[in-house]
Amino acid sequence: MICSIKNPAERRYVIRMWVAAGLCIVFAFVAAFTFRLSHPTGILAYLVAVLPALPILGALVCTGVYLAEEKDEFQRNLLVQSLLGGTGGTLALITVWGYLEDFAKTPHLDLIWIYAIFWGFAGISYGVVRARYR
Amino acid sequence: MKNRLRVLRAERDWSQADLAERLEVSRQSVNAIETGKFDPSLPLAFKLARLFETTIEDLFTDEG
Repeated sequence: MICSIKNPAERRYVIRMWVAAGLCIVFAFVAAFTFRLSHPTGILAYLVAVLPALPILGALVCTGVYLAEEKDEFQRNLLVQSLLGGTGGTLALITVWGYLEDFAKTPHLDLIWIYAIFWGFAGISYGVVRARYR
Repeated sequence: MKNRLRVLRAERDWSQADLAERLEVSRQSVNAIETGKFDPSLPLAFKLARLFETTIEDLFTDEG
């Protein structure tokens, strides 16, 4: 699949994102097992807890690097519009959900889901934006 | 913005993919510019003009 991507910047982006996703899974298991087996405390607990977030931050950096490396301005434009859609959708959802939690006592939404929700909205946005240019 | 890309491309018997390769952009980019849905930046407009050996004004028409 990766070999079929002709655009070098896009190919590097996909590879980096797969590496980040893989590291995130590995680090999540490491953190879960560490807390289950050795119950770290103090600064070590913070370090282990934040471990799975590091590849996620890396993925955000990868997206920024891709935008800097991508020479095709139309493709950059598509991604930027999608990211704006993702940001707007996420902000809208968590704002509404926050008030629902406060007043209507809906189930609590863990912050950990926000990253996935952002990419969900960005993906939907990408489809909508692409369709507009067809 | 209206443009003459399709005509100039047809004169040279280039496909959208051929033009995209020459411009080092994706075929989707060429399609979006050609259909007037995406306005290229000034550097890309100059690149197009150089490629078709014409001027930007000859390629693009400001509808406003």
